[in-house]
Amino acid sequence: MDVFLQTLVAGILKGGLYALIGIGMTLIMGVMGIINLAHGQLMMLAMYVTFVLNTMGVDPYIALFVAMPLLFLLGVTIQKFLLNPLIKADTILPENQVLMTVGIGMVLTEIVRFIFSSDYKYITTSYSNQTFYLGNISFSSALTIAFGIAIAFTVAMFFFLLKTDLGRSIRATAQDKDAATLMGVNTGRITVITFGLGAGLVAAAGCLLAPVYYIFPDLGGPFTAKAFIITILGGLGSTVGAIFGGVTLGLAESMGATYFGMEYEDIIGLTIFVLVLLFLPGGFKRLTKI
Amino acid sequence: MKGTVGKAFVVVAAILSLFVAASAGIAAETVKVGVLLPLTGSQAKFGEIEKRSYEMAAEEINAKGGVNGRKIELLFEDDTGKPDVGRSGVEKLIAREKVPVITGGYSSSVTAAAAPVAQQFKVPFVICTGSADDITEKGYDYIFRINPPASEYPNSVKSFLQGVAKDVKTAALLYENSAFGQSSSKSFEEDAKGLGLKILVKEGYQAGAIDFKPILTKVKAANPDMIYMVSYVMDASLLMRQSKELRINPKLFVGGGAGFTLPEFAKSAGDAADGVYSATLWVETLPFPGAREYFDKFKKKYGSETEYHGAEAYAAMYVVADALKRAKSITPKDVRDALAKTDMKTAFGPVKFVSYDKKTQQNKLDTYMVQWQKGVLEAVWPKSVATKTYIYPTPPWDKRK
Repeated sequence: MDVFLQTLVAGILKGGLYALIGIGMTLIMGVMGIINLAHGQLMMLAMYVTFVLNTMGVDPYIALFVAMPLLFLLGVTIQKFLLNPLIKADTILPENQVLMTVGIGMVLTEIVRFIFSSDYKYITTSYSNQTFYLGNISFSSALTIAFGIAIAFTVAMFFFLLKTDLGRSIRATAQDKDAATLMGVNTGRITVITFGLGAGLVAAAGCLLAPVYYIFPDLGGPFTAKAFIITILGGLGSTVGAIFGGVTLGLAESMGATYFGMEYEDIIGLTIFVLVLLFLPGGFKRLTKI
Repeated sequence: MKGTVGKAFVVVAAILSLFVAASAGIAAETVKVGVLLPLTGSQAKFGEIEKRSYEMAAEEINAKGGVNGRKIELLFEDDTGKPDVGRSGVEKLIAREKVPVITGGYSSSVTAAAAPVAQQFKVPFVICTGSADDITEKGYDYIFRINPPASEYPNSVKSFLQGVAKDVKTAALLYENSAFGQSSSKSFEEDAKGLGLKILVKEGYQAGAIDFKPILTKVKAANPDMIYMVSYVMDASLLMRQSKELRINPKLFVGGGAGFTLPEFAKSAGDAADGVYSATLWVETLPFPGAREYFDKFKKKYGSETEYHGAEAYAAMYVVADALKRAKSITPKDVRDALAKTDMKTAFGPVKFVSYDKKTQQNKLDTYMVQWQKGVLEAVWPKSVATKTYIYPTPPWDKRK
């Protein structure tokens, strides 16, 4: 029983972080209709920002408030100057924007490698190795805090989309871009803001992950893949779906690791991915209708 | 009169230009040595240590006159950690650069893919790190290996268990699911059988995982006397940190080479690294000629620390240079013959390519046990090379200061 509970806890805590990684991608997917394949690389960049600030003595959780705006600005710049111009060119298909994000991801990775070299960097804080116990079940302090912050951001995001004007405009653009334009929504501006938001959210995930993981330039790829799985699981463009998708992936990985073997971790994630595509093509969004 | 002077001048000029051309020719003709290493990708960290070690060794050799007066020119090929890229890298070195000898080879998977190419084109390949056993078990006569095969890494662990930790009866085995990890874990299983150790948990994992708690929870439930891990540096660090979080208290934590000996491991794992044993192939305190000098020089030159991978690369360069010097001509065939007769002492230990069991042209070396004690990696076993006495059993986490 202890083994099961410990696995459950580990899965849910990891899932919270996954949700935060996935939610940015799902937003971008919903509004622009493209998969941002530089998503993991943006997170990697945020982790380096956290690392640099940490060498100056700034706590990763405070670095979050620097990394998020920075990555928001970077996201805005990418969308405005690198992705939007591709929409204007007639002959270019939306796929070209996806290819562009792949290129951006590579450039980011290599720039970081050039500056920081391929060495592993790590952030050790007083709470990196800390745990507390509830009964026999251990909770990693850092991951628990990360889970709390991740949930807070996700909920805030949810209400932002539901209740504010800007949020409504984003949802309108996601639902029907032409109609939104006709209703007076400046969809060009919305795409720029959305990409910025997506980058900011994944930056938050990076800051939260930094104290418990390690940092190297090639870290982006695997996390882009995870974000992609979460986005598909949750249903493209669905915030609530991304939360479910993230937690599902976290739980599936943990349960799979305990009961099948950890070497199958990635296989389990991808199997669920295929199953969802086959039997629930709309993802969890189909079940929640939000 | 004027004509004769003119003619004489032309002749002199012609002779002079011949001399210049000839001397320029000698100076420009270097001996090309191909080096296959992961310079980008997730293994780039080790690739960099090895590249720097090769460069340092080549500089030293060139400063002392190179290979019979000719300078060594290193041509690095980046295998990016991928077997297919490694293969084409070797093909490029052989076909386009026409190198007489190739060295390097970091990851087992890449090396195993690259070795048949070198064999097929009959160009000698001196492997410095790639350690999967079967690479030197195929009877390739152009493949040489300086480092011991993965199955021999735990030899020192075996003798430690027999000599000191006699009360260890059960073990858990955690390994990275890669060619190196599988090869090492298989050989540990065989050794365990021989020692009468019962393996309670055996789990592979994928490198780069965030959370090892699921498998560690299983390990904790099984409560083994010893945990044996085959991991690269950051997985190693996370494994130890999370073992501490879960308060897993075996008598022994042993890392089977790879990541557990790197300074980054201790720095990132913090106090969770204390007391961890590791099998290693080399530490700078070993009594080999030039071992300490290599370590100090590397640190001074690059401002970062080196470890056994670097020493392997450094020694490989000397072995290659030695063979090039002795070869009848700088052709792959003659260099291969010279390599087969290698018998020298290097900073990494004595090098001599021998055949034993199923292996051919394999260098046979001892391995050592080291332990992290208060953030310093101390050699503890065998006693003849020990810098500190071992701490056994490892104190439980909650009793540590």
